[in-house]
Amino acid sequence: MDIAEGFRFHGDKIVNRWVEYTLSTYTSSGFFLKERDKFANPVGGNFREGLQKLFLLLSKDADPQEFTAPLEQIISIRAVQEFTPGQAVAPLNAVKHIVREAFAADKERQHLVGELYDFEFSVDLAVIAAFDIYMQCRERLYQVRIAEIKSGNHILTDSKCPSSMLDGDNKKNIKTVNGI
Amino acid sequence: MSVPKLEQLSQSVVQGPSLAAGAIPTRDWMDIPVKFTPGSYAYVAKKDKVEYLNSQSGLSFPNAREWSPEDDDWKLPEGWKEIILKGLQERLGKFRSLKIFMDCCVRCGACADKCHFFLGTGDPKNMPVLRAELLRSVYRNDFTLGGKILGRMVGAREMTVSVLKEWFMYSYQCTECRRCSIFCPYGIDTAEITMMLRELLHLVGIGINWILEPVSNSNRTGNHMGLQPHTFKDNVEFLVEDVESLTGVKPDISFNRKGAEILFITPSADVFAEPGLYTAMGYLLLFEAIGLDYTWSTYASEGGNFGLFTNNEAMKKLNAKMYAEAERLGVKYIIGGECGHMWRVVHQYMETMNGPADFLEKPVSPITGTVFENAASSKMVHISEFTADLIKHGKLKFDKSRNSHIKATFHDSCNPARAMGLIDEPRYILDHVVDWVEMPENTIREQTFCCGSGTGLNTDEIMELRMRAGLPRANAVKYVHEKHGVNMLSCVCAIDRATLTSLNDYWTPEVGVCGVTELVANAIVQEDETRGELEEGLRTMVF
Repeated sequence: MDIAEGFRFHGDKIVNRWVEYTLSTYTSSGFFLKERDKFANPVGGNFREGLQKLFLLLSKDADPQEFTAPLEQIISIRAVQEFTPGQAVAPLNAVKHIVREAFAADKERQHLVGELYDFEFSVDLAVIAAFDIYMQCRERLYQVRIAEIKSGNHILTDSKCPSSMLDGDNKKNIKTVNGI
Repeated sequence: MSVPKLEQLSQSVVQGPSLAAGAIPTRDWMDIPVKFTPGSYAYVAKKDKVEYLNSQSGLSFPNAREWSPEDDDWKLPEGWKEIILKGLQERLGKFRSLKIFMDCCVRCGACADKCHFFLGTGDPKNMPVLRAELLRSVYRNDFTLGGKILGRMVGAREMTVSVLKEWFMYSYQCTECRRCSIFCPYGIDTAEITMMLRELLHLVGIGINWILEPVSNSNRTGNHMGLQPHTFKDNVEFLVEDVESLTGVKPDISFNRKGAEILFITPSADVFAEPGLYTAMGYLLLFEAIGLDYTWSTYASEGGNFGLFTNNEAMKKLNAKMYAEAERLGVKYIIGGECGHMWRVVHQYMETMNGPADFLEKPVSPITGTVFENAASSKMVHISEFTADLIKHGKLKFDKSRNSHIKATFHDSCNPARAMGLIDEPRYILDHVVDWVEMPENTIREQTFCCGSGTGLNTDEIMELRMRAGLPRANAVKYVHEKHGVNMLSCVCAIDRATLTSLNDYWTPEVGVCGVTELVANAIVQEDETRGELEEGLRTMVF
């Protein structure tokens, strides 16, 4: 039995465990795991979809460029939640251990544990790519903040209420300003 | 070897008790205190704003001071606990809804997973039921016999500083969107519980600047931006010039004109900030096309009512201004622009706060003769109702191809959709002016997801929080973008136009945001126009 068959055979179980592990980093992991409608449960839905796609790519030694879309689907969410950068990307690494566990527990496929070098190397590349994506997300967020400030809404909070000009010496100012 | 390794990895993934770290939470929710860190809270109200508001007639905003949520000492007034409990007692007597909502929840959990804050954060205290428990636990402790005798066994707890801090954290992680309330079998309106929490917090001087400054500006100059009459007038006139240079038609406008048939009120953001500006240009073009006898007001220059996000007195005062101005000008009725919470206030609270507006007439469209029976009490017609009626009677001519650069979808803004039932009118309009598709069923109409930044939470210091809260909405936008090539998210709310822009910029930068009336005006065909090819409609730059 070759490793491709091993991935196919254990694929669903591995992805499920990976999704479960990733979602267990949330306090309310129960709901995130249970609800399968992607629109009623965007965190759970996107993670399941993203990790499924990513696992297929990792297990067939795909071009790391292809990791971007599924990684973005996951990391863009974790980049705005209350995680440190390390915590945001760490669950990706878990798949290495999950795969080893799955193969080790299967008598017929135990020997595949020794053939995981390429797979694990792909995971490493995915984790590195995830850091890049994490940073891109954070930078995009800063750009959003700057764009919002530039849009003029900051005047809401940064302008002085005209009433503050009504006291003391400032009365002169308001007369000048309004040309009264 | 691999199992211990996975556990070790878990240690670096999560801190504190969690399933991933191999631990089961050992503490009850009541025992987990909130922690304020930069980004987890909106900046508190500036001292001078609170002082100013507190000095105004009809308003009470005590305990102005410099303070920070990150400090241990929040500089609460002497006897703060009694103030809160007395405030709660007063409100239980005054608002029957609050009393019922405190008593009738059976904790079925139907609301639990319906909140966009919960869906984006996974924080159990963002489940509407638990957010309400933050208040209900104190209610039980001090106002129910069971709670007084059995205490914590029946979910009661004493009011403490820690509880107060929890209230502040979670009443400002609710946008009062009311999505949870449509799933509640008892009809509990959790938004009203948030409103009560915020009211009680204001009694001891706890509030945020992004809300209190607009309230103070509105009280002073009539609009959130603090624009004085001449500036407001100048801004609208700039828009008139823009419309003229784009279309060759110069809208005839007036300000504070006594004897006009209709007073038009819209959020000030529409005449001030992108992309609302284009919606305002849309109003100008639309009214010009039908020759409407209307006036703008430089005093009632704001549809938005941030008072709703503070306490009922401030909401009442800011709402009264619109009707006072309508009476002063002697108009027959008011047409309201694309605004969100203005409509909630008008539809749900105006009548008992400032109504009935007997000095106005039951609205009748001067163009079609349609009587707006639904607005017989509020005397205020929504621009989308008004426009849909014009289209229905064939009073507007459109060239839909003028919107061919747009593939739209429609975001039901929470308040028009859930608080006034304005659901089909904007869709009817879109059918006539643009190619558009719906987002998934459980994210639209009554079940619409909030933009994530309503109720005065659209401030940039909590941007991550806003992105989390807006995730359910953004997720649906992304879906229609990928599936149908949607490039424009239309809506009928000024806060949405600002906040969805930021939300899309993060989650789906390819999708812009616009008002429905902008799309109407893009497509409208007028008699005397000399309009060239406007590749981006009203957004086309003309030199």
